[in-house]
Amino acid sequence: MNESSTDDRLRDALQALASGVPQKEQASADPRADYRAASSGWRRRERRRRLILAALVGLVLVLADIVGLWALNRTDPDSHVIFSDPQPSVVAPQLQPTPEPLVRAGQP
Amino acid sequence: MTGWQPAAADVRALPLDDERDRAVEELFAQHRQPLTRLAVLLGADDAEDVVSEAFYDLYRRWRRLRSPDAAAAYLRSVVVNRTRMRLRHLQVVRRHLQRRTEDAPARSSEAMALLRDDQRAVVTALARLPDRQREALVLRYWLELRESEIAGAMGISAGAVKTHVSRGMAALSRAMEERR
Repeated sequence: MNESSTDDRLRDALQALASGVPQKEQASADPRADYRAASSGWRRRERRRRLILAALVGLVLVLADIVGLWALNRTDPDSHVIFSDPQPSVVAPQLQPTPEPLVRAGQP
Repeated sequence: MTGWQPAAADVRALPLDDERDRAVEELFAQHRQPLTRLAVLLGADDAEDVVSEAFYDLYRRWRRLRSPDAAAAYLRSVVVNRTRMRLRHLQVVRRHLQRRTEDAPARSSEAMALLRDDQRAVVTALARLPDRQREALVLRYWLELRESEIAGAMGISAGAVKTHVSRGMAALSRAMEERR
């Protein structure tokens, strides 16, 4: 069987199959009514999709807030996150030691 | 007060939504039937659902289209991809249920009943081809698309389209010869 004969037979079979698609699978008499019915379904799905998306975003934000608050709450208030240098200890000011008086034996 | 007045945001959104509705309605009237037939030829058992999903995708992503002229090609591409996904899903389900059948794609039996024996043999042989080869042959020999258009619809290169078409035709020729 040559290539062109297969081409023709394939075209013929596809055409026959396409034209035999049952009426219920094809467009009805009023395409506007079909479109209105279909588009109302699309709008409903779109609203539901946006609602679910908004709910998910809200949920993620709330979870992030909760995790942040929990992390802040469990930290030690005395430990500093930003400045990690050791804190200078507060000590009482000390008086300068008075020098020992020089012993000058034999001197007036 | 004369009644409901749209908010400022609605007024801005209205022309685009109107334009989208008008364009999609026109496309729906024009392409719904050919796309349903395309889905049937590709082997979809629920061609109506596949086409409806394709129009919903178009409606949802209207703003992301390059131009309104690209809508028909986009619809074709969605139908091809969704039909392939649907068939693969059915194959997995059948394998899972241990119910292997000879003809993988479930075709409309009413459409098949109207075919002559030789036409039925071609359609059966077509159904046994790999998905990509079947898609390339249907787009080439039924929609009469160019290679670049087929490549766009299938999401592959033009070279790959050539390969699929030639391998598919060779397999069909072999199947026809074996039948003789």
